[in-house]
Amino acid sequence: MNKKIGFTCAYTPVPLIEAAGFSPYRVFPDTKAPDQAGHLLHDNLCPHVKKVLDRALADDLPELEGMVFINSCDTMRRLADAWKQARPDDKIILIDLPSGTDILSLDFLSKEYERLSTTLFKWNNETSSPEIISGRIKEKISLWNIVADLVKKTEEKMSQDFFPGYASGLQQIINTAATESTDHALAMAQNKLEPEQPAKPGLSPVFVFGNLLFDPKVYDLFEDWNMHVTGTDFCTSSRFVTHVDTGLDDNIFRSLAISYLKQTPCARTMDTAMPGSIAQRIVERAKKSNAKGVIGFTLKFCDPYLARVPMIRQALQKESIPFLMLEGDCTTGSMGQQQTRIEAFTEMLEV
Amino acid sequence: MMYEHFDNAVKGIKEKLNNDPEGINARKKYVLELSRLGRKLYSKDETIAWCGVTAPFDLLSAMGVTSCFVEFVGAMLASTQTAGYFFEEAEDSGFATDSCAYHRAVMGAVLKNAMPKPDFIIGTSSPCTAGLAIVENFAHQYKKDFFVLNVPQNYTKDAIKFLAAQVEEMTLFVSDHTQRPLSMEKLGMALENFNRSSQLLKDIYDLAKTKPSPVDNRLLRDFGVVMPLLMGTKAGVDICQAFKDELNHRIATGWHHVSKEKTRLMWIQNRIQHPFPMDEMLDDLGAKIVVDELNNVTWEPMDPDNPFESIAKRMISIPFSMDTSERIRLMQNLAQDYQIDGAINPCHWGCRQGTGARGLISKGMQDINVPVLNLEIDCVDSRNLSKGQIETRVEAFMEMLS
Repeated sequence: MNKKIGFTCAYTPVPLIEAAGFSPYRVFPDTKAPDQAGHLLHDNLCPHVKKVLDRALADDLPELEGMVFINSCDTMRRLADAWKQARPDDKIILIDLPSGTDILSLDFLSKEYERLSTTLFKWNNETSSPEIISGRIKEKISLWNIVADLVKKTEEKMSQDFFPGYASGLQQIINTAATESTDHALAMAQNKLEPEQPAKPGLSPVFVFGNLLFDPKVYDLFEDWNMHVTGTDFCTSSRFVTHVDTGLDDNIFRSLAISYLKQTPCARTMDTAMPGSIAQRIVERAKKSNAKGVIGFTLKFCDPYLARVPMIRQALQKESIPFLMLEGDCTTGSMGQQQTRIEAFTEMLEV
Repeated sequence: MMYEHFDNAVKGIKEKLNNDPEGINARKKYVLELSRLGRKLYSKDETIAWCGVTAPFDLLSAMGVTSCFVEFVGAMLASTQTAGYFFEEAEDSGFATDSCAYHRAVMGAVLKNAMPKPDFIIGTSSPCTAGLAIVENFAHQYKKDFFVLNVPQNYTKDAIKFLAAQVEEMTLFVSDHTQRPLSMEKLGMALENFNRSSQLLKDIYDLAKTKPSPVDNRLLRDFGVVMPLLMGTKAGVDICQAFKDELNHRIATGWHHVSKEKTRLMWIQNRIQHPFPMDEMLDDLGAKIVVDELNNVTWEPMDPDNPFESIAKRMISIPFSMDTSERIRLMQNLAQDYQIDGAINPCHWGCRQGTGARGLISKGMQDINVPVLNLEIDCVDSRNLSKGQIETRVEAFMEMLS
């Protein structure tokens, strides 16, 4: 069994981890570890980072060969800082992620991804020629792309009809790609592409977006609460399984950089030519997925999302698309508190 | 309304300075120049850029752009006790009450049309994600062109090259909007002023290290954060010179020996911006803030032959751009250089960037035996202020130090 490399951000290319001979392990904020992160950082940080740090402090992690951090936001930067204190013996690397998608940013990120790849190979004591490394990365990308395409197909199916259990099944595939291997995720995806149950009419079609919603049980709860999830935009959902177009550039790292920076972005990544374009993108995706309403679900204290919610609200209002904004702390417990609001929202959509 | 406010401030301070032609009056000269900047921002005759905190203001000034970071306005609204009105506007529009109040105040001002309309916007990824998100909101709201400088955290050759190329590209973006190309001669002069100001800042900070220190709790408050707005100009050099003269004068006249200095303190990050009487409280307790964390020169002199790389290195060298261990190392050096007894960290509510490192900073300072008082306070929004609690904690901390 391969040694594991931990990571926390959707901008971490899993094919690079697998090409270096490791298995990916996304550290989800899923833990019963005591709440200690506030002592090292501060209590008003997003629960994602705090719970991941709680896992590190309580040693609630599998054996990791190293950790990959991305400086996608301030809180992620602080997590990388705190990790050094919490687990001083861990190997870690922090990748600088530009916030724009211009040529300079793409060039820089491609160098950062190359630095990541070199570091990972070094961590595995492997020395190979750049050609061999590039070949192995391409091989892993091909597999990854099959999963990405199957995930996309599944999402398309979700947008057309409601199949009970389908959304949570999709989340299980994505989580497998994040915490086990692309191979396992592929096997699962191939089995689950066809819905197990026939389409069922009557639920309210809703598009959901935000930062983190990784627990498959949440999607089952949504169904119990009369909601048909027609599409998602989370860094733990299809946004994580980025299709990498290897034909974009001769340099594989540049292809990766273009694919990742130009994928459906996290709120922290922006198109400077169109400030606030996240709002328009969510409107378009909601419409395309045939949703009647949109629910935003973000973690408390998440600046990149919270600062863009007013723009998103405005854009949805302009299109007369009902919008419900919820804040939570990653747990299904906190989701339970939202039941009444979600049920009232879906009821309203039926009127 | 804001133009009149700054215009009146300029006239009032000028009159006071004219009445005291022999006085050094460094702080008054500094406030005068900031009021002039405020007046220019609101004058409607200037090319205006709203920016992130670490934008290269010397370069923008050389290109004839009147620029300012948006948090400066948030602080000003708090200090003039007008922020409440703007918080409500921002919160009613959906900006979370858990977010940074510097940004909420200024966003409220944008929504209330109380901010000068910029010609363009220059965001910076340092110091914080929230700051960049807010200037994106500015660009969206004003429908103005937007340029972002990504400041990498890793101080590597590639990172410096990346940022230098962005700074150079920014000059083209600015030229496109002003129809004025960058004059290397003007840039050279701006960098020369910047270098002279930087040297004077070093002198000022060295003088502040004297024991007892010639500073008081107000003299250099937020100086290191705000001065970059002026450092590329002749006025910036004059202000720095005035502060140096003021400190030399205080030492020469023995002022520092008669000032109360039972306890020497470091203030971490920014000061409290609303009218909370912290300075007076510390005065009464005989405690003196001898150093603010950001009153520090962390950069090498600017090289006029290599301006963009110099500016890039400077931007990455700012403590907030780096990882926390580097920031702590700089703080530890300051603590030792200034021989401080303790530090106060106002953990500004809503700041993930600075406050987010609260525990790591406390530990880092404990490693060199410097106790830290973490004050849970919003430095800009005073609506939920527990004045009594803060006073009790400060008093207890001072008692412990003494």
